[in-house]
Amino acid sequence: MQHYVLALSLSLMCFVSLFFISAVMASGNKKTFSSPEEKRKKYIWAMFFIGIVVTFTSLWQYPHTISKSVHAQAINVTGAQWYWEIDKEKVLLNKPVVFNVHTSDVNHGMGVLDSDGKLIFQTQAMPGYVNRIEHVFTKPGEYKVICLEFCGVSHHDMITEFQVVEKVVAQKENKND
Amino acid sequence: MIKPSHEPHSNLIKFTMLLAGAVLLLMMIIGLLMRAAQGDLIEIDPAIFYQLMTAHGAGMVGAASLTGAAIMWYFVSRYVFLLKEVFVVFLTLFLFGVLFILGSISLGQFGAGWTFLFPLPAISGGAWETGAAAAFIIGLILIGVGFLLMNLEVGRKVISAFDGIGGALAWPVISGKVTPDDAPPPAIVASMATIIFNTIGIVVGAAVLVSSLINLYVPAFEVDALLAKNMIYFFGHVFINATIYMAVVAVYEIIPEYTGKPWKTSRIFAIAWSAILLFVMAVYPHHLLQDTVMPAWALIMGQIVSYLSGIPLLTVTAFSLCVYLRGSNIKWDLASALLVLGVAGWSVGVVPAIIDGMISVNKIMHNTQWVPGHFHIYLLLGEVAMSFGFMAYLIKEAKSSEFQMIDKTAFGVYLAGGIGFTLMFLVSGAMSVPRRWAVHAEEWLLQDRIATAFALLVIVGALIFVVRYIIGISTYRRT
Ligand code: HEM
Ligand SMILES: [Cu+2]
Repeated sequence: MQHYVLALSLSLMCFVSLFFISAVMASGNKKTFSSPEEKRKKYIWAMFFIGIVVTFTSLWQYPHTISKSVHAQAINVTGAQWYWEIDKEKVLLNKPVVFNVHTSDVNHGMGVLDSDGKLIFQTQAMPGYVNRIEHVFTKPGEYKVICLEFCGVSHHDMITEFQVVEKVVAQKENKND
Repeated sequence: MIKPSHEPHSNLIKFTMLLAGAVLLLMMIIGLLMRAAQGDLIEIDPAIFYQLMTAHGAGMVGAASLTGAAIMWYFVSRYVFLLKEVFVVFLTLFLFGVLFILGSISLGQFGAGWTFLFPLPAISGGAWETGAAAAFIIGLILIGVGFLLMNLEVGRKVISAFDGIGGALAWPVISGKVTPDDAPPPAIVASMATIIFNTIGIVVGAAVLVSSLINLYVPAFEVDALLAKNMIYFFGHVFINATIYMAVVAVYEIIPEYTGKPWKTSRIFAIAWSAILLFVMAVYPHHLLQDTVMPAWALIMGQIVSYLSGIPLLTVTAFSLCVYLRGSNIKWDLASALLVLGVAGWSVGVVPAIIDGMISVNKIMHNTQWVPGHFHIYLLLGEVAMSFGFMAYLIKEAKSSEFQMIDKTAFGVYLAGGIGFTLMFLVSGAMSVPRRWAVHAEEWLLQDRIATAFALLVIVGALIFVVRYIIGISTYRRT
């Protein structure tokens, strides 16, 4: 997903740059834009139209929705200067996991990285509040929790791990805990 | 068309821009050190890194706001009589604020970032004392008070000279009662809008700063962390945006001098600025998209308004400049080139910003280096480019009006450096590299190092701009 975002951004940035470059190149010409106000109107309507489409498709399902699934596993994560406390070390594959994110001191940011180091989602840890976020893991393996909100001198050292595992193994291990 | 009728306060503004130019250079060097440390090219203790980061953030935002204020003051004072003493008081308060901030960082080891989140200043984990946090907050408040005074003076003079707030915002042009020929000049419309939202932003900022200050000494005086976060981001967003909106006044006023074509307040221009006035204030929840306790409507509004904000910028400011340039026979020199670059950098930089303003993208890009990626584009290649352009304009009389080789080189080096430097942030962001991390993983060092080299280019370009400026103002004085 990140790479699509990068590619899309760079293309649009190039488009805007070219607009300026062509205007600068044309500054010495005799020719001006024919009917610029017509063109402006077209751009405004195009931006409105694209905006409406993008808004609906991206918000049709509110990205922070928490499903009421009975299969959901709850996991409590608490940030503190400068470590994470996490009350389950293993969660199940393909079942919704709801993270209840707390902090015991300042703001922190809970970012979850997959085993390739790619950020898959994040939420903030707010003093006095519990931010809840849901995710369904589709790949088993080691996941990392890092801090994404600046919280003081060891902000970059707040790292912990958890595992996403297949069902059977997880239940056994949880009982042993 | 209303024409300038007063002499601007040239010497005062030249001095202000000199100070700002020096601060920009110094802060760029601090930025270079941070980037080199992230790239493991030099060793900086994390505590020091975060102090440098706090200094760089506060110093850069301060320098940008100072240049913006100077530009607005200079051009507005051509249309209405402004009390020079007010700017002197503003500058004095500003410099005292800077002293407090520098003291809190260098003597008190304060390092919570320029837009710190409550209650970090009070809970440092032993890194700094309460006094250091207090000094930092007092410094910010002093700067805020200076800005309020300056805005008040410009605001009240503009309001009385241009028929009230509505008149200065050119509403009669929107309703068709007044033609663009009799409208207030674009510089006035832009200044009026900026003064309104910046004043509101600073008042909200002052409220949260004073609360944090009291909390430092009376911990029982608790501030709701979510409310404080809303307020600090409202203030931070409005304040940094105001720097660009003030600086763009230089484009409206200077470019016509280069083309001989007047830049008028058209109907669409007036509508765009009234829209900006609303959007700048309504958009700030896009800084809180990762607080799921925030009401959904606020976050959805943040996403929608952040997209809407792009429309007046791209289809009015950027589009009009491009239309205006075509066939204009504009004379290119350092000033005109940097001013046009400033608008282009600003327009390009909002693209990755708007995309990050979508909740679903924000979930995987927020607080990665994507964020310094987009704001360095519209600050370094936007606001700061306009400021350097204004500086070149101020010394124009002192040198030949050609686009000299040395200026061309400096411009090219600055632009190439700026593009490379900011691109590396965006690439790092797409690779999930967090922002505000003193220590980087092995896999991220390559972009960090490339960025360091590009940053060096930026500094070389900026150094030439500033040295040329110093030579320019000193020769101008003598003649
Ligand atoms: C040579 C030029 C510059 C260099 C090398 C530089 C470098 C940096 C670096 C390395 C960071 C930290 C990135 C991170 O979070 O990992 C940063 C943050 C920042 N920079 Fe720059 N920068 C430059 C120019 C500017 C300019 C011109 C401005 C504004 C006018 C600016 C404003 C900021 C701000 C506001 C931050 C955020 C600080 C924070 O997170 O608290 N920078 N810069
Ligand atoms: Cu942190």
